[in-house]
Amino acid sequence: MPRSADQRSADRTLPYRPLRLLGGAVLALAIAALIVTLFWSITAATTGAPTSSADVGYLIYISSLQASLSTALSLMVGVALAWSLNRLRFPGRGLVIGLFASAIVTPGLVIAFGLLSVWGRSGWLGGLGLPVFGLGGVVAAHIILDGAFAARILLARLDAIPEMRLKTGQSLALDPWTRFAIIDWPALRGTLPGLAAIIFLLAFTSFPIVLLLGGGPSVQTLEVAIYAAVRLDFDLSLAVELALIQIAVCATIIIASSVLAPISSSLDRPTEPRWRDGQATQMLQWLILGVAILGFASPLIAVLLDGIVGLSDVLVQRSFWNAVLTSVGVGAASSVLALILALAIAAARAATVSRAARTILGAPAYAYLAVPAVALSLGAFLFVRNLGIAPDLAAPVVVIIANALLSLPFAMATLAPPFEAIARSRGKLIRSLGLSGTRQFLDVEWPLIARDAGLVLALGFCFSLGDLGVIALFGTQDFVTLPLLMSRALGAYRTHDAATIAALMLVLTIAAFVALPPLFERLSRARS
Amino acid sequence: MLVLDAVTFAYPGTPPYLFTMDAAPGEITAIRGASGSGKSTLLDLIAGFLVPVTGRISVDGTAIETLPPEARPVSIQFQSETLFDHLSAARNVALGLPHADAARVEAALAEVGLPGIGAQRAATLSGGQKQRVALARTLLRNKPVLLLDEPFSALDDETRATTRNLVQSLTRKQKWATLLVTHHADDISAIADRVYRLDNRQLAR
Repeated sequence: MPRSADQRSADRTLPYRPLRLLGGAVLALAIAALIVTLFWSITAATTGAPTSSADVGYLIYISSLQASLSTALSLMVGVALAWSLNRLRFPGRGLVIGLFASAIVTPGLVIAFGLLSVWGRSGWLGGLGLPVFGLGGVVAAHIILDGAFAARILLARLDAIPEMRLKTGQSLALDPWTRFAIIDWPALRGTLPGLAAIIFLLAFTSFPIVLLLGGGPSVQTLEVAIYAAVRLDFDLSLAVELALIQIAVCATIIIASSVLAPISSSLDRPTEPRWRDGQATQMLQWLILGVAILGFASPLIAVLLDGIVGLSDVLVQRSFWNAVLTSVGVGAASSVLALILALAIAAARAATVSRAARTILGAPAYAYLAVPAVALSLGAFLFVRNLGIAPDLAAPVVVIIANALLSLPFAMATLAPPFEAIARSRGKLIRSLGLSGTRQFLDVEWPLIARDAGLVLALGFCFSLGDLGVIALFGTQDFVTLPLLMSRALGAYRTHDAATIAALMLVLTIAAFVALPPLFERLSRARS
Repeated sequence: MLVLDAVTFAYPGTPPYLFTMDAAPGEITAIRGASGSGKSTLLDLIAGFLVPVTGRISVDGTAIETLPPEARPVSIQFQSETLFDHLSAARNVALGLPHADAARVEAALAEVGLPGIGAQRAATLSGGQKQRVALARTLLRNKPVLLLDEPFSALDDETRATTRNLVQSLTRKQKWATLLVTHHADDISAIADRVYRLDNRQLAR
């Protein structure tokens, strides 16, 4: 008798994992329900007319201008830097690449403070009189962070150019410009639109950098305006109106970018020194690299050096140690939560070939890309208030969940590809061996994804550590994280205290980013 | 005895395959055919990764065509990615067998000519060694049907001959009904007891 179509499903090439699918579906549903609830809380609050005024048109204009400039210049810096790093070989190259890779997790508040330490009126180079506040300062801070991030992504594309193509070009004696145009550019251009969308989104929703360097209402983002409406003007209606605009703009960018080519997550492979450019071009590459290292590292070094000055004063403050404990606790809890959610959802997505099921499972997790931190925080603030719970009481739980959800898209982007690669390449073997779901995870998947899991923990911890958007609305006298303590110190003109806090945040960030991925890889090797 | 009785299967929008054949215990049955002729489809149907539209697949008289892959009395060995590179050879052999103690694993490795190799990570093994470790795994599971999907293609001539001979001797000794898919005539002439040709979506002897 002919068998039905579902019996001929291609799912037979994947291990049958109903529990994974069920678990993933429950979590995806819970995450989606949370989004809907927060969105509903925001829209339900739009009852009265705003009591204060905001030129929404100007806010969108200045946010877009700032984000466009940041995006264009960051991409230019990223391409030039990736090009130089791809060509040059020198001792410590890996360290330099790691330095630029850390840009994605370096707290914006730290970079902004570092810029002030270097270019501010009383900074190292303050005598040059460069305007560090306003549009120039904000864009400069974004270029430092996003240019380095772009360089890291683009370098991976250049490093992945097939050896044979390079040999062909070398045998044809292509000059540096032609080489870039016909070999490098085709490798880069597919990644640029998606990368541009991400950088635009990061700059458009920038909060701590604009708060610190914006220099007032003339240079703001919607995110800062929402914060000001809630915290300073106590105008919830205006905050809600701005949050809805913010979500609409971000969602539009996300949807637009989803049709663009995805950013490749190709991993590094060891590359030997190969085709080197001529001496004049190499000099240009060294110049670009030198300026980039100075531009990126000098604010960080300034933060560390300035931090030492106020160290003895800050270390004796109880509020400082409370903030350290709160930040580390919240960071650890939110990163573990993000890891668990991402593992469960990524494993569930990899267990099915159904396009609809994969979309339903993945969409809620990725949707948080479109929800800016302050808007998410506002939704949560209104929600707990509607439930009759004092925001102070709910603060720790809300901040942990919110930070976990905000890092979830990055966690998914890190964990989903290896899970799917394992299912695709080894699904038949796993199934024919009859491995249980537990054995599949422990023996096959975990050893292969452990490093990525460590990276997810590091990313989640660092994002949470640098968060100011969520804590800004939920912070209280007793519930203070390091970024909030730092911004309060700055508000009270205690710059030495702020410098020490920034330095500690930087050290914690780098430590987590450097230590966690290899630690997890080592732990997984010990098992296998 | 593995028997396929008028088994049909079709991918969407393509004409159906029709497979009728049998493979006896202790014998190697070779399937020849050009690339894309449907050799891997045939193995996927027997292994359970695909379900036939009509027809019957049986092993020793028991129908298996509705069983999921993990429940079929079938072992399969691929050309590549037949081991997990991050695991040791011993761990690969014991995978999925809760009661496989170290002594049995070592005995199986010794049987395929790799004594003392158990602690080595699979990534460090040569192509021929990997195929032997996979054979040791098959040995421990000892299912009556062994499917080999181009297992010798990536091996050099000398390793190829040794591995072929090992497959032949294990098939005889364990009474496996071994199905060898290949497009190499020398593999067939060296070890096959009978040969089917896959042509125009049908099997013929």
